[in-house]
Amino acid sequence: MKNLKLFLITVLFSAGSLYAQELSLKVSTEPISMKIGQTLQLQAVVVDANGNKVPDREYLFFSRNRRALSVVDSTGMATAIKHGEYGIVVISPNEDEGRLRADFKVIIEPAPITRVEISGVPDKVYAGVTLPLSIKIFDEAGFERDDISATLTSSDKETVGVAPFYKVIARSKGKSTISATAEGVTGTMDINVVENPIAQINLQSDMLEGRSGDVFTLSAVALDKNGNEVKDAPISYSFTGESYDVSAAPSGLMTKDGKFVADQPGLYVLNATCGSAAASVTISANNRNITRKIELIGQGSVNNKHTSDLWIWEGVDGKDYAVTGTWGADGTAYFWDVTNPASISLIDSVQVDARTVNDVKVSEDGKVCVISREGASNRKNGLVIIDVSNPRDVSVISEFSENLTGGVHNVFIYQNHVYALSAGRKYYSINIEDPKKPKIVGEFELDTPGHSIHDVWVHDGIAYSSNWSDGVQLVDVGNGIAGGSPSNPVQFASYAYPSGSNHAAFPYKDEKTGKFYVILGDEEFPYGLDPNGRKPGRAAGYLHVIDFTDLNNPKEVAWFQVPFAGSHNYWIEDDILYAAFYNGGVRVVDLSGELLGDLNRQGREIAWIVPEDPDGYVANAPFTWGAQPHKGHIFYSDWNSGLWSAKLEPVIPQNTKIETK
Amino acid sequence: MGVMTCFCHLAISQNYYVYVTAESEDEVSLIKFDGKNATIEKTIVVGVWPAEIEGPHGINVSPDGKYWYLSLAHGNPYGTLYKYSTETNEVVDTVMLGLFPASLQVSTATGLLYCVNFNLHGDMVPSTVSVVDPELMMEVKRIETGVMPHGSRISSDGMYHYSVGMMSGELFEISTTKMKVSRVLNLDGKKEMPMADTGGGMDHSQMDHSKMDHSKMDMGGMSHSAVKPTWVIPHPTNNKVYVAGNGSDEILEVDLEKWEITNRLKTGKAPYNVDISPDGRYLVATYKGSAETGVWDLKKGKELARVKNTRKVTHGVSISSDSKYAFVSVEGIGGEPGTMDVIDIKKATKVASVDMGKQAGGIIFWKMD
Repeated sequence: MKNLKLFLITVLFSAGSLYAQELSLKVSTEPISMKIGQTLQLQAVVVDANGNKVPDREYLFFSRNRRALSVVDSTGMATAIKHGEYGIVVISPNEDEGRLRADFKVIIEPAPITRVEISGVPDKVYAGVTLPLSIKIFDEAGFERDDISATLTSSDKETVGVAPFYKVIARSKGKSTISATAEGVTGTMDINVVENPIAQINLQSDMLEGRSGDVFTLSAVALDKNGNEVKDAPISYSFTGESYDVSAAPSGLMTKDGKFVADQPGLYVLNATCGSAAASVTISANNRNITRKIELIGQGSVNNKHTSDLWIWEGVDGKDYAVTGTWGADGTAYFWDVTNPASISLIDSVQVDARTVNDVKVSEDGKVCVISREGASNRKNGLVIIDVSNPRDVSVISEFSENLTGGVHNVFIYQNHVYALSAGRKYYSINIEDPKKPKIVGEFELDTPGHSIHDVWVHDGIAYSSNWSDGVQLVDVGNGIAGGSPSNPVQFASYAYPSGSNHAAFPYKDEKTGKFYVILGDEEFPYGLDPNGRKPGRAAGYLHVIDFTDLNNPKEVAWFQVPFAGSHNYWIEDDILYAAFYNGGVRVVDLSGELLGDLNRQGREIAWIVPEDPDGYVANAPFTWGAQPHKGHIFYSDWNSGLWSAKLEPVIPQNTKIETK
Repeated sequence: MGVMTCFCHLAISQNYYVYVTAESEDEVSLIKFDGKNATIEKTIVVGVWPAEIEGPHGINVSPDGKYWYLSLAHGNPYGTLYKYSTETNEVVDTVMLGLFPASLQVSTATGLLYCVNFNLHGDMVPSTVSVVDPELMMEVKRIETGVMPHGSRISSDGMYHYSVGMMSGELFEISTTKMKVSRVLNLDGKKEMPMADTGGGMDHSQMDHSKMDHSKMDMGGMSHSAVKPTWVIPHPTNNKVYVAGNGSDEILEVDLEKWEITNRLKTGKAPYNVDISPDGRYLVATYKGSAETGVWDLKKGKELARVKNTRKVTHGVSISSDSKYAFVSVEGIGGEPGTMDVIDIKKATKVASVDMGKQAGGIIFWKMD
């Protein structure tokens, strides 16, 4: 790399901040031009009122985009990395606020384009088919240049025509060369168009009548004029339709591989085409009609502090109990008798040195409860293990903070082990066979840059951790699928999505379809907080349904969203999802059958209930934290009002319309 | 007599304004003290997550008094520096820093802000000081220092930044103009590597840490500091800095010319934060372990008094620009509110107190009017 000296004449200099003694810091008024790879000595000088250089001044340089333009702060030696216009700040420090500061610009010229690549074209293309091309443009510095578009041309337009958005249309048998040109550099791709042998498409749907939200799977067989199957026929699927409700537009989703789901009940025509060959099948998506009434049954009010998570369990005495945590308060966890959900009664409590008991869990045998601590006065947070054999007289067995001082946000108990998050970075597996002496036996932490974690849930020996931008991690902690154990957790699958908001995960196996899903929940607060602290927050985010049937190739297939609300914690039982949606209360959702598309628009929501409490900690401000079904009731905790119970009314016969709430 | 009365009235009508963070409430309180009573002028809700504690920790006011800066310790996983207007108490801008950003200050010499990344809950590995341009709210550089860098302050001329590694027991001096560690002093008496050997500290901004797994490093040879320094404050004039030895129950006086410990002041239990009056006469230290505040006469090297604080877990201290009052934050425990106590330094007595959000921590005197 060439090291150039920048010589600047005085008239090109501009004055920076002016301070005492009429000193000024002068830098270039014109943008400085550099080439990628070039190094350059940036110049700045402090002068007095007469324009004389002031000796012995120090200078600090920094780039406003150091990944594109690197600048050594002490010397001002700049290295151009990536094309673009970038700002440089130079400061000449001085004691007692006598510093001077100036800004100037560096323009790094883009490197010339050297390569245009075309891909996405099969060896042979059937006439009549439209193909999307993948085109990438690279410059001499190796950067892919998304800022530049290529122009497409065809050597034989009768054979292959070009269309906007990098598409080509195979018109007739023959060969054509497609050229993509950007800034004088051309990449080419030969396209071999063969006669379209497809004379007929036989199209079938696995069912002709179903409901909105049901997946209609098409099977299309392309045949040539002799009735032979053309196995590599590129078939495109589409649909048209009309809604049964004159006030609603037909809508749905068709996948590239021929799966259709209707959002709106209606009559739909499902099409398969390949060149001039086409076929269609008409199906009816009837009203799903799964709506049920939901009845509020009871409340255990907590209105002097915020409530966090809940756990419902059957005690060793056969009665039913709940534990709830508290948030931003005094470190209390409450224990409730919920045997009669209409008469939830507070039976005991535990107070620990903490401000927040964010999470509460109870062991499978109903004897041991673990609660998480945040905000301990000695900054040694960790977890607390509680004997709940007699929920009316609970007692602390032990406190454990080893490696957990930074605060435990979430915990889970599974087969004598507690899985506890540590400072939002990793989780430990802690053996509690002797709950008086918890012992760390293993840990799981990602090694990605800036990794973090929010939750861990264990089912069937698999830990599902929610790791924000790293998505869900499936870790064998005893299942055997990957040879893992609590002391040797082994990650074997994962899925992340672009928003980076993965906050919770819950596995779900649909026994009828054999599909294995993991439902991932966002937690998002894009609207911030009321600066005056008087209005409740408003959440956003939704649930992502990931098809993990092929563990090596998980796919996001569906989602459940509630307008003006955001997802938090949830539970799945008997093909029904019970989801807390903060401002939107509890949403009960039908998960039966294959899942595809927008579950809410498909009418899969069975019921909803919102805990509005005029006597709440914040009045009439629902902010539902979690929901859990238990023995035919739904229990849910709300940040501002405590513990609630509700019950779904029995399933009504299909096609019987109920009145809306 | 009438003239005298008027003069006295004017003399006591001074108002003092202090910003105090409530770490477990995600609030900052602007508190006014009128010479008799302390009252909350305004409570500013901070952060963006209603259902997560983001932990406002370090706080400071820009030298021109127009802005206040706040570190929110918790993130996913990195913390954030916020810039607020003192006129409106609204957010001006933010920038993400390192793990658990804590104490911070703007240098008058460079105009840049220096914030320690405490990494309180991370592995026992050296952390950094972030250098931030507060005009652009852009992190300019990270300078590696010690394990759990906590309390930090900048010399009155703005030329040097001092911080302490709480677990490595080190005092770091950073040249603000060179943005490099210039000297390190091991406060436990261990020998330090001269910084010249390492080029004056590592520049982490140029490194790729993405593949680094500190959790697998062998820390077997690392021992935690017995001094466990939690704060350092440069004296305005005498070329010394004073370090709170939280683990050794002492204030260490370090002579900057000799770069050695020249005095040890025995304190109450677990001194945590320290401030020195602008006139250089008094040092006020919070004793976290005994819920007291110590007032020291620096000339005499004598503790004038220990003032009992309103609640347990005494945290931060900031002294008014007229050197009359020390404002002390007291965390409290569990569901207790946080509290700010006002101590009349000369009288060495608590003269006012006001409750605020839970876990009162970071504190900074803003202005008098």
